[in-house]
Amino acid sequence: MSTKAEKERIELLQGTLDMLILRTLLLGPAHGHAIAKAIEFTSNDVLQVEQGSLYPALHRLIKRKWIIAQEGISDNNRRAKFYRLTPTGRRQLAVETSKWEKLAGAIARILRPAEQESGS
Amino acid sequence: MLDDLDQDIRDHIERETQDNMDRGMAPEEARSAALLKFGNVTRVKEETRDVWSFVWLEQLLQDTLYALRMLRKSPGFAVVVVLTLALGIGANTAIFSVVQGVVLAPLRFKQPDRLVMVYESNPRYPRVWISYLNFRDWQRSSQSFEQMAVFNLNKGFDLTNPGAPEHLEGKEISAGFFNILGVKLARGREFTAEEDQQGGARAAIISDRLWRNRFSASPDALGKVVTLNGADYTIVGVTPPEFLFEGRADVYTPMGQSDPQYLSYRAAHQLSCVARLKPGVTISQAEAEMKAIQKNLDEQYPKENRDLGITIWPLKQDLTGDSSGLLFVLLGAVGLVLLIAGANVANLLLARSAVRTREFAVRSALGASRSRIIRQLLTESILLSLVGGGLGLGLAAGGLKPLLRLLPSNPPRAQEIGLNIPVLVFALIIAVAVGILFGLAPALKSSKSDLQSALKEGGRAASGGRQRVQSTLVIAQMALTLVLLAGAGLLLRTIHSLGRVDPGVDAQHIIAFRVGVSHSLTKTVPATRAAYQQLIERIRNVPGIEAADFVNAVPMTGESAIMPFWIGSNKPESLQAAPRIMGLLTGPDYLRTMGIPLLRGRFLTAEDTTSSPCVMVVDSLFVHKYLAGTNPIGQTLSVGFATMGPCTIVGVVGHVKHWGLDEPGVYSMGQAYLPLAQDPDQWVQINYAGLSVVVRTSLDSATIMPSIKNAVYGAGNDQPVYRIETMKELISESMSTQRFPLVLLGAFAVVALLLASIGIYGLISYSLAQRIREIGVRMALGAARRNIFQMIVGQGVRLALIGLVIGAAGALLLARLLSSFSSLLYGVGANDPLTFVIVSIVLAAVALAACCVPARRATRVDPMISLRHE
Repeated sequence: MSTKAEKERIELLQGTLDMLILRTLLLGPAHGHAIAKAIEFTSNDVLQVEQGSLYPALHRLIKRKWIIAQEGISDNNRRAKFYRLTPTGRRQLAVETSKWEKLAGAIARILRPAEQESGS
Repeated sequence: MLDDLDQDIRDHIERETQDNMDRGMAPEEARSAALLKFGNVTRVKEETRDVWSFVWLEQLLQDTLYALRMLRKSPGFAVVVVLTLALGIGANTAIFSVVQGVVLAPLRFKQPDRLVMVYESNPRYPRVWISYLNFRDWQRSSQSFEQMAVFNLNKGFDLTNPGAPEHLEGKEISAGFFNILGVKLARGREFTAEEDQQGGARAAIISDRLWRNRFSASPDALGKVVTLNGADYTIVGVTPPEFLFEGRADVYTPMGQSDPQYLSYRAAHQLSCVARLKPGVTISQAEAEMKAIQKNLDEQYPKENRDLGITIWPLKQDLTGDSSGLLFVLLGAVGLVLLIAGANVANLLLARSAVRTREFAVRSALGASRSRIIRQLLTESILLSLVGGGLGLGLAAGGLKPLLRLLPSNPPRAQEIGLNIPVLVFALIIAVAVGILFGLAPALKSSKSDLQSALKEGGRAASGGRQRVQSTLVIAQMALTLVLLAGAGLLLRTIHSLGRVDPGVDAQHIIAFRVGVSHSLTKTVPATRAAYQQLIERIRNVPGIEAADFVNAVPMTGESAIMPFWIGSNKPESLQAAPRIMGLLTGPDYLRTMGIPLLRGRFLTAEDTTSSPCVMVVDSLFVHKYLAGTNPIGQTLSVGFATMGPCTIVGVVGHVKHWGLDEPGVYSMGQAYLPLAQDPDQWVQINYAGLSVVVRTSLDSATIMPSIKNAVYGAGNDQPVYRIETMKELISESMSTQRFPLVLLGAFAVVALLLASIGIYGLISYSLAQRIREIGVRMALGAARRNIFQMIVGQGVRLALIGLVIGAAGALLLARLLSSFSSLLYGVGANDPLTFVIVSIVLAAVALAACCVPARRATRVDPMISLRHE
């Protein structure tokens, strides 16, 4: 099991998963498995979560009232629980995103000072 | 929200499985890949639930229930641990409740930290009772205090009306006494300044007890009359039921109405002074002011006051006395017992966790995090210690009464000792602390165990680290036990030395008591002398009485009559700075009654009266200190501020240990016997009222006292007989300073020894169980049983010896501490080698014995069986 690919996967920072879930739900309500797939797909399998860890995160977000859960019918006509972003969650995503961009920018500047200099 | 979590997860995994099958995996493979990708289902569920719950509360409940189940499965273990902890926590709680009541709790007065005691001082003693006239001058001049009041510690009152005659303990107090303490009388008022002076209206304040006994708690008691010492007093107040200050008192009368002879005599130092500091004034400021005032008085009245100073103490310190230091030492000692008990518990938990390795491995395989397992184990140990603590509280509650009876005869603030809120909080805190402290090491050790090897070894994993912790605990137990043994040993030697001290009087056949001679018989000086003479004659005539006489201060009771003296005509310039002597007023039969040996010359005789030359008898210590190398007989001696003498020394008698068998250095002083019959007329009525009777009899107190009482009552008067004590009791009481810590330290040491031997026995047995295979191999290879025995015993003895060495250092420290308390150790040095050698041998022997039991078992190991073991 211990393949090279697995080692290159990045473990998620605490709280990052929350942001990814919010980002995924921005596109529309989804059920748990779909959210997991979407995160894996959009990150080209680099960000690999144990799918199970999604569930504590989802419940955390529900508790903070950033998302809500609804009963619904999935694409293959089966009963499923759908998660939907709330207005508060939408705002929170904006906050989180801008925070993340600042952080990422800062880290980028630290890691690539030479390029920045040459570029200026 | 959580209801359908299981369903959600099942759906999720099903979807993933479906996806995998869509990608062409076989159904089995697809499902296991989905599960792998999902992660630990149990943990996910738990973490999700955690989001919604008061996690810790729920887990605590879970852990507690689990812990209870585990403990029910091994009741033997649980009972041993709970009992060990109950012993440790119970003992600590009991001792703490004494410390709390005596030392820590604030006094039950208004703003108690503003209350102080004001004493005078002289070049020989830092604190002496104060004189009334000096007090009145302080009151006029000082600015540091809101108010000051004087009182005498104890004044006897013979109550003759209403009801049957009774001797009562009481106090004379000056106006403002209750106001200073902030005590509101239950009824009525305290004395006014008008009452607190010569010729004032005779007023009395009575205790709640007396009010209930004599006036059936009637509100009409105020204004009623009580007859005290032959005079009628009107009741003006009743104290609240819980009021207690410097000893029991049932009656209070105004100080200003006391005997004028004694109030107007500036050199009579008999009173205590309590005062309330003004807000913002510190003790040192007050002391500075008072010293200046006292200096003025010294210059104004050089004859009586020269060299007098001032000492101010916080009231609390005064009431607590020097018992606080010793109590803290005992609290520390009992803390050591708890540590030793806790070490045993930790060892038991460690041994048990070794057996439970598999259980923890399974739990963590099922998704329990390390912190969760540690929490589980801590819950178990805290649960045990809480149950132990609860049981310990029961022990403390039951043990407190006998413990208090052990306290030195007059325990300061003893009425405030009990299992109150602070004590309960203390017990709770130490129970939890012990649970955490001694559960933590086993918990950390167990949770670290390597999953795979633990599961493979089938739960019998031997852990080297575990054994190291256990060995360290056993060494610590040995060391702590030695400390306690040494402390107890030193006190035991002290009591033993004291037991061999000659008190200087016959300890077996003496009874002392007081008689309240009827006040109708003591109206004049000649009448008083005659009444007392008749009284002693009547007592002497009681069948069974071999001899009887009066004395003003009975040895070993703490009663005293300390006065300055000088020999010949060398009168010192400053009487306050002069050496002191114990001046005992007595009669010709005293020597024979007390069994004191006559060394030279003669004792007082019936011929020594006011009409014959003044004589005195001194003791051997006095001669040794001041008249060594000369013939004391015929020299003259003068004693007292109101000087008696010069009188001729006519005899020398043996020294009496007046202050108790250990007679502390500062109190060791010569004794002079002054004939009662030659007491100057102006002092007769004061001095005679303070006399005790001592009788010599071979009958016991219960047999002879009724006949004595009959003889006393036979005079047709209502004369109470009280404060009856045998010399044997008095001597025994004088050792209570040492007996109290001895009994406690001794008990602690025995418990510690027991616990430590269980500890080392447990460790050796446990390690034997771990090494049974090794022993089998050794024996199969030809090791003699003797070698095996030595190997096992050697392991234990090595630990014991390391513990002994470490403990010796601690024991020396404790010994130093004990010897720093004045008059605790007697006849034995702090570093007494004999004590240390003996306690070391005792401890080593007990440890050896504890090791031998499992070691003998080791020699009976059958190699064949042990090799098949596991």
